[in-house]
Amino acid sequence: MLAMLFRRLGLGAITVWLVSVIIFLGVEMLPGDACTAFLEREAKGKLLENCREDLGLNRPALMRYTEWAKGAVQGDLGVSAKGQKPISELVGYRLRNTLLLASGAILAGIPLALFLGVVSALWRDRPVDIVVSTLAIFAMTIPEFVSATLLILVFSVWLGWVPGIVLTPANAPLVEFFPEVLLPITVLTLVMTAHILRTVRSSVIEALASDYAQMARLKGVPYWQMVFRHVLPNALLPAINVIALTIAWLLGGVVVIETVFNYPGLGRMMIDSISDRDLPVTQAIALIIATVYVGVNLAADILTLLANPRLRTMHIRKG
Amino acid sequence: MKKIIGAASGLAMIASWAFAEPQGTFRQAHEVGSGSGSSLDPISKGRVFQVTEKIMSRLVRPDMEGRPSPDLAVKWSANADATEWTMELRSGVTFHDGTTFDAEDVVYSLERVLDPEMDSPARSAISMITNVEAIDESTVKLTLGSSFADLPLLLMDYRLRMIPEGSGDMIATTGIGTGPFKLERFDAEGTTKLVANMDYYEGAPAVAEMEIIGITDGQARLQALLGGQIDMERGITSQQRVMLEGSDKFNVQTIPTGNWRGLIFRTDVAPFSDVRVRQAMRMVADRQAMVDLVMGGGAVVACDTPVGPRDQYRAELDCPQDIEGAKALLAEAGFADGLDVDLYVATLEPTWPVLAEVYQKQAAAAGIRVNIKQVPSDGYWSEVWMQKDAVTTRWNERPADQALNEIYLSTAKWNESYYKDKAFDALLSQARSELDFDKRRDLYAQAQAHLLQTAGTLIPYHVTRLVGTTARVSNLDEVENNSVRWHLVSVD
Repeated sequence: MLAMLFRRLGLGAITVWLVSVIIFLGVEMLPGDACTAFLEREAKGKLLENCREDLGLNRPALMRYTEWAKGAVQGDLGVSAKGQKPISELVGYRLRNTLLLASGAILAGIPLALFLGVVSALWRDRPVDIVVSTLAIFAMTIPEFVSATLLILVFSVWLGWVPGIVLTPANAPLVEFFPEVLLPITVLTLVMTAHILRTVRSSVIEALASDYAQMARLKGVPYWQMVFRHVLPNALLPAINVIALTIAWLLGGVVVIETVFNYPGLGRMMIDSISDRDLPVTQAIALIIATVYVGVNLAADILTLLANPRLRTMHIRKG
Repeated sequence: MKKIIGAASGLAMIASWAFAEPQGTFRQAHEVGSGSGSSLDPISKGRVFQVTEKIMSRLVRPDMEGRPSPDLAVKWSANADATEWTMELRSGVTFHDGTTFDAEDVVYSLERVLDPEMDSPARSAISMITNVEAIDESTVKLTLGSSFADLPLLLMDYRLRMIPEGSGDMIATTGIGTGPFKLERFDAEGTTKLVANMDYYEGAPAVAEMEIIGITDGQARLQALLGGQIDMERGITSQQRVMLEGSDKFNVQTIPTGNWRGLIFRTDVAPFSDVRVRQAMRMVADRQAMVDLVMGGGAVVACDTPVGPRDQYRAELDCPQDIEGAKALLAEAGFADGLDVDLYVATLEPTWPVLAEVYQKQAAAAGIRVNIKQVPSDGYWSEVWMQKDAVTTRWNERPADQALNEIYLSTAKWNESYYKDKAFDALLSQARSELDFDKRRDLYAQAQAHLLQTAGTLIPYHVTRLVGTTARVSNLDEVENNSVRWHLVSVD
């Protein structure tokens, strides 16, 4: 188990490194650089030269990458190309804001999804299941920028209950994000609930039809006891992976939602830094997102192992 | 009798208004065009003009008709050949930090713009100034390298704002000026806060605070306006206008501007090096149809002149679509079977692709086969514009002389169509030194007519700006940013 953990950690580190190389190459391949992006049509002559000199852009790409990587390994993410501010400071607040958004959606969405998923599976093909499943399909398939715009129209323009756009600066205390953060959380909750509840529903239905559930019922175990003791613990295992993926998606900065709501999180910062060709910031964010993905998936696998006795003892029995 | 009552109540209004304490907060958004490179240095590339226009003043500013009117300079006069200008400065003006504004500040601010080391984008606008000298505390003499009759027009440039002597290194963050508002907090990507400058020389502002909020996404800005989170959004589209006009919670101002969009055919490469081909390329355009189809009617037709419809030097020109004429010219130039053109377009300016498609349809009638090439917005200015043979362009309003000089003069830095024409250059230099206004206007008009004959740039229209405000805003001048008197704006 421990050996597996180390192997997975090693693989994770390699993944993160590969991501940083790919991002670097990707941004390098885009037309223009930080200076042409900033100067636009004034990007010529001395102004351009000075700018490239200031940002060290006239050195070879490989040299810039190794320098950046050396710093990153030592925990120094470098300085933002344009603002000349330490990146850790810039990214820190954005990461915190994205965490706020994500945890709001997770706290609201996961219990809701589990509850609705189980309910619609137990009352399969009954009115409650039909309503929940139909709504879920809608929530999944309507693009989030459309549902976001609709919610803004209804709740902030027509009803005037909550502000439509987030105007709080990135480094404001967390409390100041209320109530502005409620609408983006609602949209995220809609999307993720739909995804998770559909997985939960199908795996509960599968478990209900399984041999052990049939056996329990034949033995005369009361229906609800069978559901809680035998069906749910088995059915919810596959949900762990879907939940992990969703959490990783949320923590990675939900670009579209953050842009529509003007939310100062990681996703919007990523977009801005790419259009500014601000390579150090782009790299730092990519690194964070990659680490989150690797970490959350690893955690999900470990959880699954712990929850499933057969997988947990497989190595021991073999040995 | 009615008149007297009217006048009396008018006076009473003015009086109550003059003694009223500034109140309320006016909020607007800006697009954070320069990202984290944003600054309050009025002459740097990253200046956030939505802030600098409220905290700093110019020597001369445009009045409601766009003509030069006094700001920090109260009077000006030129010598006989317009090579020396004497500006008399307003006295008793203080900067936000309490220091007195005087001639030395003007010398410092202008020399800073002219300093080649700064390499400011504003430099080319006033590059004819060779020397700035303080005669006494309230008089400045500007010496020009060549005659220039319209210097005050150029001094209205939105970047030429006066800052305290020696403040250049800090101005990007301190934002100290003489404007109607003082900087309280600068946060380009968040909310910048301004407070009323009670000592402003034209009287205290009507609002107590202004908030300039960074919102990058255009759709998000509109939603902020609809939700009442901001009070004004400049530059809404004609589609968005519909949403605002149906409601009594909003007002829409319609402001003709000198901002233009256009198609460029490089005059230095075949086939466009033949003036007949260039003429034909422009004759096929049905400009009114372009205004209607591309801009939803929100533009004023232009005949390939960059000079805006409200500019005093705008030439009266006529340029109807002429397919037969274009065909004849093409045949004469050896393209009887028509010709193929690759036109490069990006979504950097959202109306470009639409404009290109409308042009494609119109040009097809004369046998011009336009092949639209969509390229990424990233790097458009450095790798496509002024590089490819046929591209799209856009410019913001500038005074007639500046527009003609910076973009069409043989030696211009931004000669985007590589236009080189001795007759045109001569007309411009004559106009610049002509002191008689009517003669000068005539020369500028001739220069524009010359462009309509020979240029490689198709300018179908000047954009009309739509400004959306919430109903709580009043006294917002219905003019471009550049002329708005921000201290008059009030909110309920």
